Amino acid sequence: MASVLPRTPVGPPLALRWPPEDNRIPREIFTDPDLFRWEMDAVFTGPVWVLVGHEAEVPQPGDYKTLSVGAVPVIVVRGGDGEVRVLVNACAHRGARLVEGPRGNVLKGGFRCIYHMWTYAPDGSLLGVSLPDDFPADFRKEDYGLPRARVAVYKGLVFASFHEDTPPLEEYLAELTEGLDRVLGDGRLRYLGSIKVIFRTNWKLYVENIYDGYHVTALHTGFQVVRLRSHGGQRLVPNYERNGHLWGQSRSTPREELQPVLRDMTLFDVRTKPTTDHNMMVVFPSGVVTDYFDTIQLRYVIPLAVDQTLIEFTFFARADDPEEVVRHRVRQGPAVLGPAGAITLEDAAALERVQLSSVARGDNVVLKGTPKRFPPYRHVDEAPIRHFYQAYRRLLGVPTEEGTR
Amino acid sequence: MKAPEDLASREQAARELLARYVRVVDDPDRIEEWPELFAEEAEYRVVTRENLEAGLLVSVVCDDSKDRIRDRVTVIREFWGAGGRPEDRHYNQVRPRHVVGPVWTEPQDDGTVRVVANFAVWGTLVADPAPRLLAVGEYRDLVTFTDRGPRFRSKWVVLDTGVLQDVFVYPL
Repeated sequence: MASVLPRTPVGPPLALRWPPEDNRIPREIFTDPDLFRWEMDAVFTGPVWVLVGHEAEVPQPGDYKTLSVGAVPVIVVRGGDGEVRVLVNACAHRGARLVEGPRGNVLKGGFRCIYHMWTYAPDGSLLGVSLPDDFPADFRKEDYGLPRARVAVYKGLVFASFHEDTPPLEEYLAELTEGLDRVLGDGRLRYLGSIKVIFRTNWKLYVENIYDGYHVTALHTGFQVVRLRSHGGQRLVPNYERNGHLWGQSRSTPREELQPVLRDMTLFDVRTKPTTDHNMMVVFPSGVVTDYFDTIQLRYVIPLAVDQTLIEFTFFARADDPEEVVRHRVRQGPAVLGPAGAITLEDAAALERVQLSSVARGDNVVLKGTPKRFPPYRHVDEAPIRHFYQAYRRLLGVPTEEGTR
Repeated sequence: MKAPEDLASREQAARELLARYVRVVDDPDRIEEWPELFAEEAEYRVVTRENLEAGLLVSVVCDDSKDRIRDRVTVIREFWGAGGRPEDRHYNQVRPRHVVGPVWTEPQDDGTVRVVANFAVWGTLVADPAPRLLAVGEYRDLVTFTDRGPRFRSKWVVLDTGVLQDVFVYPL
């Protein structure tokens, strides 16, 4: 295995206990700081494709945005040549962060480090340094470009990988591409803005929550209050033998049949699709893609610490949407699926509680739907969580035995 | 009630409305009174400075009508607070504490008063022994005078941080 980034190898925490059954999750994995360091390497700079954005977020040459791939700060930037690249956001000289802000345009002037005025082109190549006299004779600018992640794009979704052995993106996504096609259409979107929030929970708890169909009616009281149900649907786990993505499909009660508990029920409108079918997907390990109601949303899950995770909720319209549709999407998206939305706060509360009591030791247990060994599962099942942890454990080198439960 | 004739009284009435607002949003038992602080045509928006300055449309909260403002109380009480047993919903048991000031007031030619104020909102939760700084930013409000007294025509909560430090239950 070879990482694009040089690193000091980090080993597994010595005392970590892994149950043989794949439906038991040891709570220590949510509190162990040594494991967290190991994950940042083995998972996020391992042979995975990490969702880092959509091309519509950086539409013009020189447009950039910042986020992190696991613990590695990166810049997602569209070059003067139109190509989107992912650069490590640290000066190749003495490591100062190059870009502080969330977004901007760098076409004029390039990325300039404040520390010694080294300047980089949007493609990461070093353009110039200040006062290079008395540098070693063999100093060459070509040797000091910013490290680049490998980049692959699907329907405008931008993925980064810091590993040389990551399979081609479409092979990695497998049949998840079919779900992405449904949400993204031809891939031409318009970026409407993002909302970032810190969840006081381990990143894995945030991600496994999306694999879990069991909590949806129990925790999200708002769905009960308006009598919104799933009428059929299923939870698939594309590429479960390797990566374990999640593709939840369901058809929700149309707005006309809901209890009109709110004065403005447009929250639950579906105007842009022929049916109320929607998709909720995880691109393993940390990307979320959904088309709930009329909301087109990506989420980037960014681990900050073993017990803190930044979630960036990013909202889109289709490139050709008329303005009234854009306005509807802007009103609906954050009001349902955002930090102050009708259906999000509860997840933050539940996940914080799981995090708080993870010091209690013992195992979290996955039961609903587990008599089945393989997908497809019912949309109310939590069994897909097992496949997330199977994929995770394969990356860590501590796989479960196949067929154990 | 008409707008007071003299500007000083108008400004004073706008400040008192803001003080009332803080008393209401800091008291989880009084949240039903919150919509009545707004005019019949009103908006309540929570936006990050980051999105605002970038000209991006997405708001954290976009209550752009009195209906949506009233619905927020239903969401707080029914969506986040009911269902199972209310006593289990501890995330609804936050004690917010607004620290507001200084307050600037600017009477407008049309009789309204623009109000700008710095704020910080702390939340004390059952789940956490330490109070949390939920939000820091400024209010950009427009106060109008209705038959029933001063009311917010618009209240914009502009957050300084691009990253919300926590989810929040009650209006900021």
